[in-house]
Amino acid sequence: MSNKSKNYQIRITGHLDDDWSDWFGNMKISLENNGDTIVSGPVVDQAALHGLLRKIRDLGMPLISVNQIKKQVEV
Amino acid sequence: MPNQILTTKLHIPPRMPKEVLRNDLIDKLNRGVNTKLTLISASAGFGKSTILSQWINTCNKPVAWISLDEEHGDVSHFLIYLIAALQTIIPNLGAGFLAALQSPQPPSPVSVLTFLINGISLLKDKIILVMDDYHLVDSSEVDKAFNFLIENLPEQIHLVLATREDPVFPLAKLRVRGQLNEIRVADLRFTPRETTAFFNKEMKLNLSKDVILILETRTEGWIAGLQLAAISIQGHKDIKGFIKSFSGNHRFVLDYLVEEVLRQQSDDIQNFLLQIAIMDRFCGSICDAVIQSSTVSGQETLKFIERANLFVIPLDDERKWFRFHHLFAELLRQRLNKSEDIDIPTLHKRASLWFEENNFEIEAFKHAAAANDIDRAEILIGGKGMPLFFRGEIAPIYKWLKSLPDSTLKNRPSLILIYSIILTFLGKGRDAELKLLAAEIDILDNKDLIGQIAAIRAMLAIPQNDTEKILIQSILALENLNEDNLAVRTITKWTLGLAYQNRGDRALAIRMFSEVIPISKSSGNIMATIAAATSLGQVQESQNQLFQAKDTYKSILDEIGDPPWPAVCEANLGLARIYYQWNDLDKALKFGELGLTLALQLENIDTPVSCWIFLAQLKLSQKDNTGAATLLSKAEQYLISHNLMFRMNDVAAAQVLILIHLGNFSEAIYLIEKYNLPKSRLRLYITQGNFSKAIELVNTLLKEIEGKEWHIERLQLLIFQALALYGDGQKDKSFQLIKELLPLAESSENIRVFIDESELMSSLLSYTLFRGLTSNFIKKLKMAFDSKDQKNPNQFLMDPLSRRELEVLELINQGLSNGEICEKLFLALDTVKGHNRKIFNKLGVNNRTMAISKARSIHILKFQ
Repeated sequence: MSNKSKNYQIRITGHLDDDWSDWFGNMKISLENNGDTIVSGPVVDQAALHGLLRKIRDLGMPLISVNQIKKQVEV
Repeated sequence: MPNQILTTKLHIPPRMPKEVLRNDLIDKLNRGVNTKLTLISASAGFGKSTILSQWINTCNKPVAWISLDEEHGDVSHFLIYLIAALQTIIPNLGAGFLAALQSPQPPSPVSVLTFLINGISLLKDKIILVMDDYHLVDSSEVDKAFNFLIENLPEQIHLVLATREDPVFPLAKLRVRGQLNEIRVADLRFTPRETTAFFNKEMKLNLSKDVILILETRTEGWIAGLQLAAISIQGHKDIKGFIKSFSGNHRFVLDYLVEEVLRQQSDDIQNFLLQIAIMDRFCGSICDAVIQSSTVSGQETLKFIERANLFVIPLDDERKWFRFHHLFAELLRQRLNKSEDIDIPTLHKRASLWFEENNFEIEAFKHAAAANDIDRAEILIGGKGMPLFFRGEIAPIYKWLKSLPDSTLKNRPSLILIYSIILTFLGKGRDAELKLLAAEIDILDNKDLIGQIAAIRAMLAIPQNDTEKILIQSILALENLNEDNLAVRTITKWTLGLAYQNRGDRALAIRMFSEVIPISKSSGNIMATIAAATSLGQVQESQNQLFQAKDTYKSILDEIGDPPWPAVCEANLGLARIYYQWNDLDKALKFGELGLTLALQLENIDTPVSCWIFLAQLKLSQKDNTGAATLLSKAEQYLISHNLMFRMNDVAAAQVLILIHLGNFSEAIYLIEKYNLPKSRLRLYITQGNFSKAIELVNTLLKEIEGKEWHIERLQLLIFQALALYGDGQKDKSFQLIKELLPLAESSENIRVFIDESELMSSLLSYTLFRGLTSNFIKKLKMAFDSKDQKNPNQFLMDPLSRRELEVLELINQGLSNGEICEKLFLALDTVKGHNRKIFNKLGVNNRTMAISKARSIHILKFQ
């Protein structure tokens, strides 16, 4: 697929280790000092984004913010 | 052959040991029963189902429960479970809908819900309906159905919805009206008092105030977190160390605690938990089958993990089936996916085998699909003799097929074929045709598949009314299909029969349909039975075998029972036509209206148009030209919006009838020319007194059908011929003709075919009597003629009362109260009150007594 994905950054409360990268569809996981986790990476479209948010909802992870990062990436 | 309803989905979760009783919330739930809806909206793990189970145990009201899942996004599937849940309180309510909802042409949600609402409104005591996990449904169709239910909710029922996200229907409106009882995270979070009670009283951990405060802060009162913490502490020797490390890091609460809990279990238990997490529900026996361990017994281990509070929830009273708490299952699956020693597809394959052996066909299919075992999944779709998609299980199969990459589908023509059948069911005919083309490339050596493709093409050609294509593809199909492929051969004989019928080869059509009916009946294929019997009835009608046709149609209605399926709309319309012909206008109206209601529940068919045309004709016979014209304009709009213009000439023919009645001959001629309507032209000639032209035209038309067994058309034309000859002064010839044709009409009691004609016919009948040809049938015709001109007094009203309103008025006249009328007519109180208001308006009165006296004075009601 040569779709132009958009980069997203999702911030949630609580630290997740790298094992969870898979579960988030190979997004990058980075931990903040204040206890938040930032999950970031390319998301194909709105449907995929909602699917991701639903996964977060289903684990009861407190969601803090969702941001689109302007730079476009080729997948 | 309906699929099973999983009763585990209707099981009310029992109270669990070591629960804190939450009286404040129970009070809030009790108070909320007087509103329409209780909404429990909170993230996973906040104890939504638990509080409901506590409340249900104390509320002393009958409760129906549904645990929803993704598949209830299919609205018919949702309604099946809604009916099954309500039946746990009201036995048999809506039972007649269950089979119809699993057919490829299910009834509309509104019609099913209306029926259920009426049934519920007859209850004396209040009932409660709980829908758990509503967020899983995620379907606008179900949201719409639910909204309709809320809008029309009788006071005898209170709804409870538990969900992880607010539903999309307008909550604000309910909130403003005070009809919403809301329980949200702030209510559900454990209070410090509850936290203490939980740790120290229920779990008997004797923790200090400080420790409890630390745990509460770390979990923010999240119940799932507190429970996992308690289980971890139970197994820990060093409680202080545990508390310190738990509170001293930032890890996601659940992730941390689940790991703690798992680490405290033996390797066997850990593996057991991870492996059975692939299933949505499990029992001891399937655990044995999936895990295949010589040291671990499924039954015993399930008992152990239930005692250890490892988040299993029993799904039945016998504690045979269990599921994990959703949150725990999710975390287990996440761990399973990253474990390297476990082969997940193999687990799914074993689960699939067990489900198949135990006749849970859908679950067997789903696990085969999850194992990515395409061959096995395809075999399972085939069902045991009756494919799953013929039994209403379309959504999960469609979802799976859609997920398969093209490279997988390629070289699997039989799977592509299944795909195209499902697309056909879903009304995606174009996509279905494309799939067929793809399949065809690879199957030149497989005769049965070639036959199946042709069979699907024949079906796809039906809505397009492409007779040649139906014929060619059906014949091709029957030549190629295996002899033992009964399911498809049967359907194809029906399509072939349709093609014969469209071409006018009625004897052949009857033969085909008569062959289909017994086979489809004995194999339980109800849709094929309905289709073939309906077609048979229609051919019998056109052969003017009205009594046989009536029996055929009635047998369909008997087969289906009450409430009727939408698919029997044509049978109702057929009965309406027959009763009309017998001049029983009340019955004709009843069946015609029912036919229309049912037909409108189906999509993409032209039956509503036939119904409107019929009902317009009925109005016309009561001299209600305006009413007739209104119905025809509805038919016309429907034809345009549904792209069914090939039926336009039928509507035009009915419009011509009205124009002739109104004496607007120039308009009539315009339509006759535009749509080429020879029979309408013939009627116009006779009405205008242009008899020589009429004779000429009728002779031509009779010649066209010579040699064919087209009895009803022939009878109609012979009557026109007799009329034209009589008008032309050739009275003797006319008399001879009548003498010849009367026995044809008498055998099937065709009355309206005579009395729908003008005064000229009345005069011709008098002449016949005068010539000494007397029979009971002629006398009957004369009598029908004489009474047809008496106008129905109801028609004198500016806005005539509807059938239902007349029924209600009659019951008011008998002195029944509104409540009694509700029961008698099986309507909700509000509906009856609505009818009352309309009756009062139309009669220009404002109470029951005045309505009765007004209705008597204008002879709508008889004096008693």
